[in-house]
Amino acid sequence: MAKLVKTEAVVEGRTEERWTLVEEDATPEWALDATPRPVGEPATRLTAAARVSGAARYTSDVRLPGQLETLVLRSPHANALLVSIDLDAARGVPGVRCAIGPGDAPDFDGQPLLTDKPQYAGAAVAAIAADSQAAAAAGLEALNPKWEALGFVTDLDQALERQDFLEPPSDEERGDVEAAMREAATVIEVEYLAPAQMHNSMEPHCAVADWRPDGLTMWSSTQGIYQGRSQLSEAFGLDPDKVRVICEYMGGGFGSKFGCGPEGILAAELSRRCKRPVRLVYSRRDENLTAGFRTPARVSFKIGAEPDGTLVAIEASAVMGMGTGGWAYPILETTKSLYACPNVHAMVLPVRQNLGAAAAFRAPGVMEGTWALEQALDELAIELDVDPLDLRRRNHTDVDPGNGRAYTSKRLLESYDKAAELAGWASRDELRGEGRIRRGMGCASQYWWGGGGPPAYADVRIGATGKPVLSVGMQDLGTGSITACAVVAAERLGVAVSDITVRAGDTDLAGHGPFSGGSMTLASIAPAVRSAAHHVRTQLLDLASDMFEIAAADLDLVDGEVRSSDGTLRRPIVDVTEKLGNAWVTGVGSRAPNPQGLAVNTFGCQIAQVAVDTLTGLVTVERVVAVHDVGRIVNPMGARSQVLGGVLQGIGFALTEERVVDPTTGTVLNPGFEDYKIPTIADLPEVVCEFVGEPDPRLALGIKGLGEPPIIPTPGAIGNAVAHALGMRIREAPYTPRRVLEALEQA
Amino acid sequence: MGGGTDLVSQQDRGILPADSLVDLRGLGLDEIDEADGGLRLGATVTLAELARHEGVAERFAVLHEAASQAAAPQLREMGTVAGNLCQQVRCWYFRHPDLTCWLRGGDTCYAQIGDHRKHGLEPGDCISVAPSDLAAALLALDAVVTTNLQPDGIPLLELYRKADQANRSTLALAAGEFVTAVVLARTPDASAYERAGERHAWSFALTGVGAARFGDELRVSAIGVSNLPRLIDPEDPLSGLPGLEQTAWKRRLLSGLVEQAVGRVRAGGG
Amino acid sequence: MRISLNVNDQEQAVEADGGESLAELLRTRLELTGTKVACGEGTCGSCTVLLDGRAVLSCLTLAAACDGAVVRTVESGGPLLERLQQAFTAEDGFQCGFCTPGQLMSAVALLERTPHPGRDEIVQAMSGNLCRCGAYEGIGRAVARAAEGG
Repeated sequence: MAKLVKTEAVVEGRTEERWTLVEEDATPEWALDATPRPVGEPATRLTAAARVSGAARYTSDVRLPGQLETLVLRSPHANALLVSIDLDAARGVPGVRCAIGPGDAPDFDGQPLLTDKPQYAGAAVAAIAADSQAAAAAGLEALNPKWEALGFVTDLDQALERQDFLEPPSDEERGDVEAAMREAATVIEVEYLAPAQMHNSMEPHCAVADWRPDGLTMWSSTQGIYQGRSQLSEAFGLDPDKVRVICEYMGGGFGSKFGCGPEGILAAELSRRCKRPVRLVYSRRDENLTAGFRTPARVSFKIGAEPDGTLVAIEASAVMGMGTGGWAYPILETTKSLYACPNVHAMVLPVRQNLGAAAAFRAPGVMEGTWALEQALDELAIELDVDPLDLRRRNHTDVDPGNGRAYTSKRLLESYDKAAELAGWASRDELRGEGRIRRGMGCASQYWWGGGGPPAYADVRIGATGKPVLSVGMQDLGTGSITACAVVAAERLGVAVSDITVRAGDTDLAGHGPFSGGSMTLASIAPAVRSAAHHVRTQLLDLASDMFEIAAADLDLVDGEVRSSDGTLRRPIVDVTEKLGNAWVTGVGSRAPNPQGLAVNTFGCQIAQVAVDTLTGLVTVERVVAVHDVGRIVNPMGARSQVLGGVLQGIGFALTEERVVDPTTGTVLNPGFEDYKIPTIADLPEVVCEFVGEPDPRLALGIKGLGEPPIIPTPGAIGNAVAHALGMRIREAPYTPRRVLEALEQA
Repeated sequence: MGGGTDLVSQQDRGILPADSLVDLRGLGLDEIDEADGGLRLGATVTLAELARHEGVAERFAVLHEAASQAAAPQLREMGTVAGNLCQQVRCWYFRHPDLTCWLRGGDTCYAQIGDHRKHGLEPGDCISVAPSDLAAALLALDAVVTTNLQPDGIPLLELYRKADQANRSTLALAAGEFVTAVVLARTPDASAYERAGERHAWSFALTGVGAARFGDELRVSAIGVSNLPRLIDPEDPLSGLPGLEQTAWKRRLLSGLVEQAVGRVRAGGG
Repeated sequence: MRISLNVNDQEQAVEADGGESLAELLRTRLELTGTKVACGEGTCGSCTVLLDGRAVLSCLTLAAACDGAVVRTVESGGPLLERLQQAFTAEDGFQCGFCTPGQLMSAVALLERTPHPGRDEIVQAMSGNLCRCGAYEGIGRAVARAAEGG
């Protein structure tokens, strides 16, 4: 029976109260000490065949009959007034079906989608739908916009001076920092500058809208089909059931693709006007001007400690460059919550700038905040001559230091020990050298949420073929969550993972599923999947019991067979299901709330080894040991890939990735891969990956999320390793050849 | 047009609007000829062919190393010797679709008043840097360039000119003139290419230094430090390269690379 | 202009616009959407195809310059490509898969020229294909695995 319950959920550091529909559920939990097959065994991706053959249809591949192509006029100025624009001239261009300008499209995020007062270089001003890209380009040419350029602020410090905040600054204190700092034996003051990292998913933001009298269908490259459905129904006043959002295959998002975005709303508006399907694909340049970024930040610490490294007080502030949107990501969360410091004062100042809107980027706030904090701790360790790992162990906390709550589980100390052992931490000083190449090793801790929670629903059905079909209302970015769902279903149904068909990425297919983000997806959906599969299993066993005249309690589903506990019966499952004809057995499952009143977090430790070439300034990450505590591992193959991906993006942040904004014109100078450099295969280190977390005893299926954790400690560990190698610290990332050589020159 | 890798991307950004392009790849200029103790490279030999050529690897290490490290594998398959020598600067203002900088015929070198962290060490109207790895290698090898109008050839340095107020081109080619071949008259006793990039692969050179030793004669060249590829005095590599506000770090880099490259050619053969 | 070319063993005669890229021709005119465009400016390798046996960037290749050419894409099939596709699956050499067609075509070009490459040769040959998901370890292993199986 279904019931409504009120629960508390933490999403990327923001606590929300929600009412959730939950089905009563009798699915037995897995034992903590056993992981039943095929859970925990490596599984290749179910989507592999489609993805490697080129057959997978991504949103940018969708072609509908009569489909129009779209181009957007973007402001070349960082702040301007549009004085005039000739939409009629564009409408007269052959092949142009529609030209719309400021005020002609719905709002997005409370801002006009097409504006005559662009607040950043790249802001959308007008849009053209035409029979071809070439016709749309000719239409753009005809617009002949005239601008009045205005003053702008893109620099972080100037933005702070202007005191124009995107949202009110936060100011939180526990204990008495001032008094504690006065008493502290040692006080250090340090400041770090984090760059704006840009997502650069390989598939750009894109949308194909098909507006028809009976409703809107939207193909979207999205991390949240249901979020997209809500956005579209609100923007156009449509009944949500008249909006269908589809995302068959998706080329990466990393936090920049929640909902259907401005590109979806714009495509829908043009489709509504043209009565034709409309496709809008961002260029790489659009992507980097307007599709979001990790907020650049100036993070300052004053830290007071005892001679043994025990923290007594932390005074921290962070200025975050939000551009024109996003929210104040939890940049000082680890400062407040990772260590047992009784006196903490944290101030966050999210400033507005004439740049695109910030967007969540894999562990938003927390990654860059941890990069800064973990280096500050290293500087303290060096000052006190304490081993950096010991300093972290000394400040370990058994309860959430902010609210005193116990954790559902925590294996951070084990992570330190395991990482130290695998990295050879004890002999790290022997790595260093005096010649051209200097080596070093550094560590950093990881803290994140990731417990998942409701609402999440799944349904499973099985028909005559005996091959189950699982439907989930979510999407697969490439994280492998679809495959992991199949693994979970396979365990209940006794079939091979590859025999399960998973249908996803369509709001008309299945009940509400989680968005892909916050390291919440699998922990949210897996219990619903298992519950749905269990209902099907129960019915199959009942059918088998009738057929074979053996009590259902004495039957099991194993390796595609129905088996009796005494071993006398072994029959293929299809012998039972073929009797169904065209009918099928169905099961529906939902996700129950997490236990209330406990802190649900993931933990870990990474140790990086680097080699710095003092001639070229190039930093090589040679080895990363990544140890994470994320509960039960469903698919070790997918889990390792997630860790590798996080580490690589962390290396990008630490070594090469940095948005550069022109001080004179306020425009982004490196909106493409030539000057915005992401890691290549030649930048891949050896990665040693271990999971210390056993199943979390208080969470459904013992699962916690893994999307964010592996990126969080990587840049901090690299920063500490570079400092160890050089004997001095570069306090601004990325550590490019220029910064390394400048530091060496000053030394 | 050779491989078109630079040309097509400039066209897409409206930097180099042209009504028609002529593909030079059908002219039979794609031979590598090891004749008379020297080397003749057809203009449309690709960087990949050059990098794979065993004779080049054995006798002209600097050329082999420069061709193997330039750009990315696919661009090396497409890009030609002449195209690499004649490519435009990579300056992010020059390539900006919304700006018309001095080198593109405008009034302002935005780099000088803006962000020039990767630019040159030499003050001037334009502070962008020569990007061609091959130019550095071939300059060290004392190459001669032949064109359809100058079949007898000119020293490589004369292929380039300093852009000025009246003519913003950095190439000394007349209208309708194109490179047909690069000729090396002699084989060095030792040569080497040293470069620094922004990551471990697929990066334009921040700075690249070629060195070749012919008996006692040492020829050292550099790109990434000034508008045009230049010869470097190994005893005083920074001569004429004072550095700009944001590029002083390249002085250290250039000195280091020169020392490294010169060390290699002094030490060895190959 | 009218051009004819052989794409995946099929002769094609198509009308191409002057500035049209090979990538556009493949994706739009021939509806071979396996080839992906991620940057459109020759910097990422997603659009890599084989042009007369060489791995090139189809977004920077003018269709008009491909008259008479032999083009192979991820849809071309064949034993080597199939072996690579299996190896990419077995080694988890991708996550989102958007860069994968380009990765595969670079790998085909490498193994056709160098059937048994060393690790450095693999890294060198694959270094022009960016993968934002960071699946490089699996990519490198997959290429090595496919080479061993040859």
